[in-house]
Amino acid sequence: MSGEPLFILRGVRKSFGDFTALADVDLRVAAGEQVALIGPSGAGKSTLIGLLNGTLQPSAGQVRVLGQDLAQLAPRQRRRLQSQLGTIYQQFHLVANLLVIHNVNAGHLGRWSTLRALVSLLWPLEVATAAAALARVGIADKLYQRTGLLSGGEQQRVALARVLVQDPRAILADEPIASLDPERGRELMDLLRELGAQSGKTLVASLHSVEYARSHFGRIVALRGGRVFFDGPAAALTPELVAAIYRIDRPESSRSAAVRHAAETESGRVRAAAEAGAGSEPPEVVDR
Amino acid sequence: MSLRRALAEENRSERTSALLERPRVPAWAMQAAVVGAVLLASLAVAGVLGREPIINRNGWPLVWQFLRAALHPELGRSAVALAIESTFITLAFAVCGTSLALALGLVGGVLSSEVLWRPREPEGGGRRRRRHLGWVTVRALLAVPRAIHEMIWGLFLVNIIGLDPLVAVLAIALPFGAITSKVFGEIFDETPRAAWAALRAAGASELAAFIYGILPQALPELLSYTFYRFECAIRAAALLGLIGAGGLGYQILLSLQSLQYAQIWTFLYALLILGGLTDGWSSFLRRRLQRAGGHVPAWGEPGSRRPSGLLLEPTVRLSLGCAALLIPLSFWFIGGDAGRLFSGKTLRLLGGVLRESWPPRLDAVLLGRLGRLAIDTLAMSILAIALAGVGGLVASFPAAASLAIPGRLFDPERYRRWDYLGGLIVLGAARGLLLFARALSEAIWALLVLFVLFPGVLPGAVALGLYNLGVLGRLMAAVHDNLDPRPLQALAAQGASRGQGFFYGVLPQTLPRCLAYVFYRWEVCIRATVVVGLVGAGGLGRVLNDQLSSFDYRGVVTTLAVLSLLTLLVDLASAAARRRLR
Repeated sequence: MSGEPLFILRGVRKSFGDFTALADVDLRVAAGEQVALIGPSGAGKSTLIGLLNGTLQPSAGQVRVLGQDLAQLAPRQRRRLQSQLGTIYQQFHLVANLLVIHNVNAGHLGRWSTLRALVSLLWPLEVATAAAALARVGIADKLYQRTGLLSGGEQQRVALARVLVQDPRAILADEPIASLDPERGRELMDLLRELGAQSGKTLVASLHSVEYARSHFGRIVALRGGRVFFDGPAAALTPELVAAIYRIDRPESSRSAAVRHAAETESGRVRAAAEAGAGSEPPEVVDR
Repeated sequence: MSLRRALAEENRSERTSALLERPRVPAWAMQAAVVGAVLLASLAVAGVLGREPIINRNGWPLVWQFLRAALHPELGRSAVALAIESTFITLAFAVCGTSLALALGLVGGVLSSEVLWRPREPEGGGRRRRRHLGWVTVRALLAVPRAIHEMIWGLFLVNIIGLDPLVAVLAIALPFGAITSKVFGEIFDETPRAAWAALRAAGASELAAFIYGILPQALPELLSYTFYRFECAIRAAALLGLIGAGGLGYQILLSLQSLQYAQIWTFLYALLILGGLTDGWSSFLRRRLQRAGGHVPAWGEPGSRRPSGLLLEPTVRLSLGCAALLIPLSFWFIGGDAGRLFSGKTLRLLGGVLRESWPPRLDAVLLGRLGRLAIDTLAMSILAIALAGVGGLVASFPAAASLAIPGRLFDPERYRRWDYLGGLIVLGAARGLLLFARALSEAIWALLVLFVLFPGVLPGAVALGLYNLGVLGRLMAAVHDNLDPRPLQALAAQGASRGQGFFYGVLPQTLPRCLAYVFYRWEVCIRATVVVGLVGAGGLGRVLNDQLSSFDYRGVVTTLAVLSLLTLLVDLASAAARRRLR
């Protein structure tokens, strides 16, 4: 692996309209690190994940991924870089109508030509790889099922199998267990940790649960009000700090109203909508 | 070693082959084979594969003249005045027809709703049975006018009432009233009944409980459907002009018969403007109503808001105000002779027709002929829907704002201003073409297509296909616009190209819905074969026209029975196909 950190953020700001989701973010993530992102709803966790995988562009500052500035790249190079970053989402982001094999094979898209991708939709290619990935996440028998018919936990495993097939340098996870029941959530977190430990992949996951951040990750980054509030080893996160991170004060609640406003006025700003969606629930509620 | 290779190796060593077994022939291959065979058979029936000429070479110069005339429609004072007057006549027919249909629909909807007929708890068996019988009777009574196309109603009413504007109004109001009744009844039944039950339990009368407990909740949907019906009525009103009722369709027919191409275009443009304005206004309003009705918007949909007071929406109020003005004005404008409806002569004629139409003619010659024509009609509908489905799908992509305009679905954060402008132009052109295709309506397309194709199955199929292409393209574009953007975002985030995103993220989501629309439209198509038949394209519609104009009512009943059977068959096939898509 190269010596340079996998992700470098320098003075990053991200605004949606006149609402600033992230400000003054400086962050480095080295190869092989396991980082948990925590913070109250609307703190900018999802926005940060979007910046890391190139879905969003910073309004100011620089995001370097694998030594390259995402904003400076031509579309083709950017896509090649993005194929090195696998993301799983709270809502899975799978195509419900497709067979599981196609959703898993979508992990190849960064490498495959469009023609090859098209052929595979009609006659599935690289079936063995897909089957092995599904076996790895524990749902080997779902290969030819329609994805929409699977349970939430199984769908999140399909999403993870897609990332396995993609075989990226880093795995990003945006609230991966927020839509799962506690048991499914624990299984998935264990699976993620195992994958990281085995393959030495970099892992950045945003979480609602401070416990999982502590138990499954070496490093914790806490966001509050769009700024990095805490960045250090999991052991250094004291209960007092946790209370300070999630403390609710007046400006905070008016800010989430601002997020909601941004979601209404800015078409396609799905990120902002995602942040507003959670409202102001207490952080102890792990599973919603 | 890459994880992928490790996985593959692990896989090779201990593979339980049963888990890997894929279907030997993919489902899509079987379906494609069936569809291909059906299409081939339909083409054979249409004579495309035979030796008989189907293209009338002499017609091409006429088509060329016709197309060239599009650039210089007749804009003289009298032509424009006539076009404006005809537009108002067509509009007035549609307004009167829709308002009568609405009145019929409200009464029929209440009468055919399950809420009304559902047995009440303390009632005994006898009353229960009577209630059920009542419900079935109302439903059956409504099925008859619905099954008969408005053009046939028009021809039938002309025979009885004579040429009066009321013919057009009634020809719209009767079938539309029956359809509206059915849909309103279903809307009432789908409305949550908790409020109604609470009022009934508190001792409110049946009617009061309905008005307070059901109607307010159902109102947005009722209004939305009414405006959709009005859109349909505009097209029907133009069509009815073809049988001499006046309005734009009538003028187009007259100009076409005297080969006055420049004049045709004046009327066609008027029709296009009328159709475009109603379509645009209606779809805008219906979006508003859906939102006001508490429709929960898709995740991430912009402008999601709580249901607001329906009548507080300024657009809704404006529309209702316009309707309140237009309805009396329209009735005054068309000036039909309502007395004629109930005159002795009309009643005598009606009685005569009813006596003459029983028993239906069942001689072997007619039945044999109808059988052959039924196959022709079926082939016509299949070819039409194939053309409409493929063409509509292709056109729907540039006509969808989400796909045509950069920054909506693709490249949300990266696009240039020129790309945006280009997207707008593509979108506008595609939507304009689709509007043109559906504004002309199937009958006028048939008149045009008959320039170059000899009468038969094929011109009917092309005309129906072009019209439905316009309808399907718009419906499919709406499907693309409503798709879930999240899978596509996930694909883009891992480096998939636009094309790959389209095939893996867009098409799998929207294609099943689009195909469901195609099958649904096929049901509409088989009914509309009558229309193109009436203007000479062939099939059962042509026989029906001959029988109606020679007052052969016993034959008419037989033909209608065959047509109903065919319609039922297509409905069943379509429903089965749509079930498989779910």
